[in-house]
Amino acid sequence: MNADKLDLPKTVGVWNRPDSPRLINAKNIFKYMNGAGELYLGYRFHHLEVFDYTSPDQGNILVELYFMENSDDAFGLLSLDWGGEPVSFDGAPAATSKKSFTSPTRALYGGGLLRMWSDDMYARVMAERETPASKEAVITIGKAIAANTQHSPEPVLVKKLPLEIGTVWNLRMDRLSFFRSHLVLNSIYYLSHENILGIDLSAEAVIAPYEYIPGSGNPKRSQFLLVKYENPERARQALNRFHDAYLPDHKKEISADTDADSPSPFRLEDGWLAYKLLGKYIAIVFECPDPESARTILQNNESNLLKKGGGS
Amino acid sequence: MKDKMPVLTRRDFLRGTIGVTLGTSVFGIQWPKGEARAAGSSLVTVVRDKNAMDSAKNIDITVLEKMLTETLTRVTGQENTKDAWLSLVKPNDVIGLVPTDHLNPTHDEVVHVVKNSLMDAGIPEERIRDAQGPRNAKKCDALIAIPGLKAHWLTGIGTVLKNYIMYSGSPSSYHKSNSSKLGEIWNLPFVKGKTKLVLVDSLYPLCDKGPQPDPRYQWNYNGLIAGTDPVAVETVCLKIITEKRKAIRGEPWPLSPPPICIEAADRVYGLGTSRMEQIQIQHYGWEDKLLL
Repeated sequence: MNADKLDLPKTVGVWNRPDSPRLINAKNIFKYMNGAGELYLGYRFHHLEVFDYTSPDQGNILVELYFMENSDDAFGLLSLDWGGEPVSFDGAPAATSKKSFTSPTRALYGGGLLRMWSDDMYARVMAERETPASKEAVITIGKAIAANTQHSPEPVLVKKLPLEIGTVWNLRMDRLSFFRSHLVLNSIYYLSHENILGIDLSAEAVIAPYEYIPGSGNPKRSQFLLVKYENPERARQALNRFHDAYLPDHKKEISADTDADSPSPFRLEDGWLAYKLLGKYIAIVFECPDPESARTILQNNESNLLKKGGGS
Repeated sequence: MKDKMPVLTRRDFLRGTIGVTLGTSVFGIQWPKGEARAAGSSLVTVVRDKNAMDSAKNIDITVLEKMLTETLTRVTGQENTKDAWLSLVKPNDVIGLVPTDHLNPTHDEVVHVVKNSLMDAGIPEERIRDAQGPRNAKKCDALIAIPGLKAHWLTGIGTVLKNYIMYSGSPSSYHKSNSSKLGEIWNLPFVKGKTKLVLVDSLYPLCDKGPQPDPRYQWNYNGLIAGTDPVAVETVCLKIITEKRKAIRGEPWPLSPPPICIEAADRVYGLGTSRMEQIQIQHYGWEDKLLL
């Protein structure tokens, strides 16, 4: 898909766009946005089309349309920050459901910036100056971008995480991110400057915290990471590398048997960590308050994964 | 694994062993444990005026000029702007101004005010040039670093130390574990010792990582942060960004990845101090939400 198939308005309020966009590809994205290019190349980036809507005296509106290989990648870019005001373009509920991903947020607005996921496209529409008029123009442009596009489902991997574990652990969906790059992982949850999990464009991963709010009101939060590799061997190698780098002071317990006994959590500086190799998946939970929590979160995710056809 | 290089991980930050791990893996040397700048302290000034920039991001040049004057006299201890500049640079120096040109660019008004102030101090206009870019520092005798205050998605913070990244000739090579080596750029032969003032444009900082600006994470701080110790200035900038992030979320929201370049600039490259107890912060003007 490209902008030719979109019906972007030539004029919105006092803003006018040129006939043609600037075209950015993987070769010149660094020239366009310096180090930020690595974010988009960390997903499966196809190309970028840029329109500058100009106005005589109310600042410009920058429209960036990132065309990705598929909707998972576009979803991933939006998932890096669920903050902002949810926007609906078709009357469907805009707010992220607390219980499921069946009506996911597809557009978020804040401070003059609209970020949206529309099929295989991720878009940023940003007003140089936020005013009621520029907000209206930004939303109008967003609506045009979303028009006539499919509502693709969120990545399958995302749906494999149980939203609740027992009665105490709840998935923080507003902090859930989908990615394919260790640089992106580090920008969400720093593990290592090296790619110790061997995450690349052939892999897909999701990270989100599970939160436990006890009676005292002081929440406990554990980070859960699920990575899917091309095949079980890649997963096994990655988990070996992870253990060597992250847990060099602990005995390795990696089994390819998904029916193996519950994993032995490791006590680290920030809590308990447990991992498990599940066929071509690796599941890791960090910062658990106790070993039982680590086992519970891991086992519930394993059960959900097997129930939904993963693990092979 | 016994014979393998240790890998810097999250656990090193939790244990306080980043020096040991980085020393053996990235730098190939032992991270010095000594007090690099045990004697004395580094002065960092924070000058703010709530009228410097309005909510529509219009900058009041007159207010900005006053803020620069306050900054220069406080940093140097001189009576006036001219004496302040002449205590930092020589009249016949070729002076390079080094603003940031992307992500959260230095405001043009800040660069213009600095340039005009230098000219008022008697520096001929033809001796003042834009020194941002791969080789531009080579032709300069003195550099004034004028970065915009911002976080960065690959290096944690992207303000002072990262401002010279183009001088390296290979900026992308400093974006991963080698971001800890950003300090080495300041020690390149054509850069070392030339920086006479670090003046951070903190009128409208960006406290989230980007990689592109998101206005939800920008705010009117309306300040200029300055000093002659680049590491101390960066450390104060990091404190402000960290505090702002905490205020936004209502809970600690550390920069990710952690900005390891700051401590390395202190302990490995000897560019200044990253230790708060060795930094003397003096703030003037608007006190609201100082974040220090």
